[in-house]
Amino acid sequence: MTTTPDTAASTPPPTADWVDPLAMQRDPYDTYDRLRDLAPVVHVPALNRYLVTTSDACRAIESDQETYSARAGGAAATMVRALGGTPMLRRDDPDHATERGPVNPPLRPKRVREAWAPLFERNAETCLAALLEKGPDEADLDHDFAAPLAAYNLVDMLGLPMADPQDVRRWSHTFIEGIGNIQDDPDIWVRCDAAQREVDAVLDDLLPRLRAKPDGSITSALANAGLTDDQVRANVKLTISGGLNEPQHMTTTIVRALGDHPEQRELALSDPARWPAVFDEALRWCSPVGMYPRETTRPAVLEGFRLPAGAALGVVVAAANRDPSAFPRPADFDITRPRQPHLGFGSGVHRCAGHWAARIAVGEIAVPLLHQRIPTLRTDALRAGNWSGWVFRGLTDLPVTW
Amino acid sequence: MPRVTFHHDGGSSEAFDIAAGMNLMRAAVTNGVRGIVGECGGQAMCATCHVYVREPYLRALPRPGEDENEMLDRVAAPRDPRRSRLGCQVTLDAVADEIEVDIPVSQT
Ligand code: HEM
Ligand code: FES
Repeated sequence: MTTTPDTAASTPPPTADWVDPLAMQRDPYDTYDRLRDLAPVVHVPALNRYLVTTSDACRAIESDQETYSARAGGAAATMVRALGGTPMLRRDDPDHATERGPVNPPLRPKRVREAWAPLFERNAETCLAALLEKGPDEADLDHDFAAPLAAYNLVDMLGLPMADPQDVRRWSHTFIEGIGNIQDDPDIWVRCDAAQREVDAVLDDLLPRLRAKPDGSITSALANAGLTDDQVRANVKLTISGGLNEPQHMTTTIVRALGDHPEQRELALSDPARWPAVFDEALRWCSPVGMYPRETTRPAVLEGFRLPAGAALGVVVAAANRDPSAFPRPADFDITRPRQPHLGFGSGVHRCAGHWAARIAVGEIAVPLLHQRIPTLRTDALRAGNWSGWVFRGLTDLPVTW
Repeated sequence: MPRVTFHHDGGSSEAFDIAAGMNLMRAAVTNGVRGIVGECGGQAMCATCHVYVREPYLRALPRPGEDENEMLDRVAAPRDPRRSRLGCQVTLDAVADEIEVDIPVSQT
């Protein structure tokens, strides 16, 4: 295997001292290409970590959690601080499996279709009505559709009807700010602590009721799995952080990509069986989770490059998804590419728990509905939308017209 | 030691001795066997570890559980009512210590 230390045949990874995090914030893809050309794993002093940018290297990491732990310390410890507890995403098996196991059943495709899809449809109709009301001169697909829809869907799956979707959005953004708070900004921690208290207040009331009378929600599954309250809380907060921004970004990314490629839009509209491929390609082409952390538990050799124990790694799935050795013409958005696995949802035991829900809610329900109801929907050339971020990437706004 | 043979489309095959208790997806992925993806790491969540178990070995295996059965409806290649299994849910042990499986043409 690639990770067995074999010091004779291996070299230390090259260093890239030219990487500019601010430029990556605007558009990371040139940086990803240059890094990938250099080596599969490169030391980046400006980020204080090694970035892994090829498809093979990212997969090698995900297939060996004993060497590449998700219990990443250092910068990755911000997640534990932001959420006020350790969620499944910062644990390795077998501890991870104890917390992940319970959330899988409500998120397998059959249950998603039976239990959640009718709610996703209802929520999409509600948000579509609000978008139409905004009108073609002012509508913003992000603020007026994608963000509220993601919040409504998440509230339903988590079974938090008492929570205001606006609050859920604020909590989610606050936690994500905290997860990214490597510069240790105290104001962000104050906001995270406040959001934690608000979520805890909801759960204090809800958990005893769910234990007495389980429902089909994710929170109920966690509450009835023999976990401690702290474990349940940390994982509900993880789901609030991870279950909102990404579906929101996927919705706007797909509409933007189809708007920029009218011929592919026609193809999807004339053959609805293509919608899953549209979702899949958009997720590959601009992955909303661009990078996640891992840490070596022991000295390792990754694709011929030597890593010390305790090395902080950034698994750059957004770069791996544009690896030309895995995807020909990787920068092109092309829904007709042959289907092939990519890393947009991660891979291995931490692979996104919500991947079926997101696929169905966004890819099969919300985006097709938008295009069917507003056949002339397109990006408003007069009011441009903005891409931002690299760890998490998406459009911050998407003015649309019709 | 349990032994697994993976048969590829086109006639070639690969055989490995594996540790007791190891599942077929893990055996394939650690040995770099093409055609088994195992995207979710063995949680019966992705259906990309589909295999067709060869007839003589079916009897020694416990039947698919509810999760596996549901996910088998999601496999990319046609589901065979008897032979289709998720590799990550099939474990070799002292009882079922030998198996031969065919790898489907597609997992995604
Ligand atoms: C298109 C939308 C989504 C994308 C692109 C996405 C992406 C990801 C990625 C890349 C990971 C793995 C991170 C890592 O390994 O460090 C992950 C994990 C996770 N996601 Fe998602 N996600 C999406 C939607 C959702 C939704 C809707 C939910 C909730 C219903 C959700 C819940 C989770 C959870 C709980 C984990 C942790 C899994 C574990 O540690 O085992 N995600 N997601
Ligand atoms: S590895 Fe995902 S279902 Fe078997």
